[in-house]
Amino acid sequence: MATDTATVALPARGARPSISRIGLWYAALALLGALGLAAWVYELRTGLAATGMRDVVSWGMYIFTFAFFIGLSAGGLIMASSAEVFGIAALRPLSRLGVLSAAACVAVAGLMIIPDLGRPDRILNLFVHPNWTSPLIWDILIISVYFVFSVVDLAVLQRHATAGARWHRRMQVLAYVGLPTAVLLHSITAWIFGLQIARAWWNTALMAPLFVVSAILSGTALVTLLALAAHRWGGLTLADDTRRWLRGLIAVSLIVDLFFVGCDYITVLWGNVPADRSALDLVLPGGPWSWTFWVEWVAGGVVPLALLLVPRLRRLPGSLGVAAALAVVGVFAFRIELVVIGFVNPLTQYPPGNALGTYDRGTSSFELTGRYSPTWVEFAIVAGLVALFAAIVTVGYRRLRLRGAGTAADGPDRAGVRS
Amino acid sequence: MAKKKEPTATPHRVMVIDTNRCVGCWTCAVACKEVNNEPLGFWWNRILTTAPNESTAAAAPASENIDVPRGEYPNLEMAYLPVACQHCTDAPCVKVCPVQATFRRDDGTILVDYERCIGCRYCMAACPYGVRIFNWGDASYAPGGTVGYGADYRSDGRLVFTPERPKGVVEKCTFCVERIDVGQQPFCVESCPVGARVFGDIDDPGSEVSQLVNEGGAVQLHPELGTGPNVYYVPVRKRVPRES
Repeated sequence: MATDTATVALPARGARPSISRIGLWYAALALLGALGLAAWVYELRTGLAATGMRDVVSWGMYIFTFAFFIGLSAGGLIMASSAEVFGIAALRPLSRLGVLSAAACVAVAGLMIIPDLGRPDRILNLFVHPNWTSPLIWDILIISVYFVFSVVDLAVLQRHATAGARWHRRMQVLAYVGLPTAVLLHSITAWIFGLQIARAWWNTALMAPLFVVSAILSGTALVTLLALAAHRWGGLTLADDTRRWLRGLIAVSLIVDLFFVGCDYITVLWGNVPADRSALDLVLPGGPWSWTFWVEWVAGGVVPLALLLVPRLRRLPGSLGVAAALAVVGVFAFRIELVVIGFVNPLTQYPPGNALGTYDRGTSSFELTGRYSPTWVEFAIVAGLVALFAAIVTVGYRRLRLRGAGTAADGPDRAGVRS
Repeated sequence: MAKKKEPTATPHRVMVIDTNRCVGCWTCAVACKEVNNEPLGFWWNRILTTAPNESTAAAAPASENIDVPRGEYPNLEMAYLPVACQHCTDAPCVKVCPVQATFRRDDGTILVDYERCIGCRYCMAACPYGVRIFNWGDASYAPGGTVGYGADYRSDGRLVFTPERPKGVVEKCTFCVERIDVGQQPFCVESCPVGARVFGDIDDPGSEVSQLVNEGGAVQLHPELGTGPNVYYVPVRKRVPRES
């Protein structure tokens, strides 16, 4: 069905120049979606053997991308709820865009789990036989709640923007509900990992706060990127005041994020407990996964901070966009590091390690230190779902007429606190 | 052995492995693989090469290969640690399974329902002992057809063993439910050529397992995690080096 959209969208290109750009965009997204769908069909036929995962590293790209998208969904809350709860009027023009992207992110995150299941045909067991001690069940519940909440919030924001003040009260109530709901969403997703005693790399009480702050960071950065794109191509005006708030939010959450990660590092380094240390050594400079460290701390840490805070760099055109993009990449590297290192670090530090669960003639059936690199199937499915996210946001942006969001109805009626 | 408890009571099943006896021959692992018709690349049971009495997370290994002793000649030491499912009393896999596919029977045996598992592999992330194996694709078997039990087995109506593995579900050691339910020993216990494995009811004070645990000083793997394994290990008694 995705290919249908492609063939429908393409002829429009020749017709009118103004349609061609959006038509091409939809065609590209439809193509990616179709590829992802095809890859999933292939995976269903072959089994998860089509992925790079095996028994030692038994969760991979689907799970870290899932955790990443859950984090990205925080953007909606920041825009919509801070505008109301903390009276930051400068962020209000981005409320609807933020909530729209939040709904899309959560939907895509939920779908991301499905290709990771060995038996997606049994997915209803989650509702028929739920095990309430499993953080996964809590997460499915909160993801559903958050998705419904985002859709309702978007509808109310839309009414408020078009029909005006009558919806103001409801919008404010939702803003107050949204805040704890989002904190819960990120905490529960963190607890999927953080509560596990088996893996020292995950088992820290810091996991939930770290997920909350990295969600605020990546979510704000994502909405910034979307707003900048809409400013460039979608006719949205992005005021200087709004840019200033975005810059501040990204910088502060990035600093707190790095502080939390640093707290974890110092605890492990000073304590020097072998199980903790062997995991961290994989990540620190010199270790086999140190690229995640450099992306997280330099490319996604020091560089965007400099772009956001150093006055001379801050004034450069595009500094905000580049910083936001780098921050998103940094958080993605953190998610990869979190999930993969948890598995790569051997549970059993003795040879021969664990059985792999698949057989390749001439190679060992065992692995001590885990290895993982995603296959084309995983890349294609993830790319398809990212395209779905982009399609939801594009369609939503156009249908909801968000381009006028910066003006009239979202106006300055609650500006009091700031000025 | 004198049975002192009520014959109707559910036994509390425990395995004790005497690491003083284990010679690292892998007979139990191969016997397990055969009787359970484990596909290629699957090992429910495996024999780790360790130094005597080291916790599994204590130190980096001497080598990536098995049977490599630790230390420098002539001061070498080596021991073996056979590891399969520990059948924990407070099992992390049971706690995390979102659909209750992994469950604990009254006798302490942890089993997987092949018909309910959705293949999310959360149990594999949660198990501290790395004993669970996932059916990544169509299983390939050693030539010669199905060996071992060769038939489906149900416990409380739930499919806990099937010789031809379905794609996309998790499996692991079952304590050989097929055998223990009819009063036999698990096949690894039966096949060990040096009698390193003992199986029985720890609630029965007269049983060999309860003596090994209560008086023989048998210990659990990762007791600090509080999972309460029902597999115990008799530690290696180190010999004092002779003066020369």
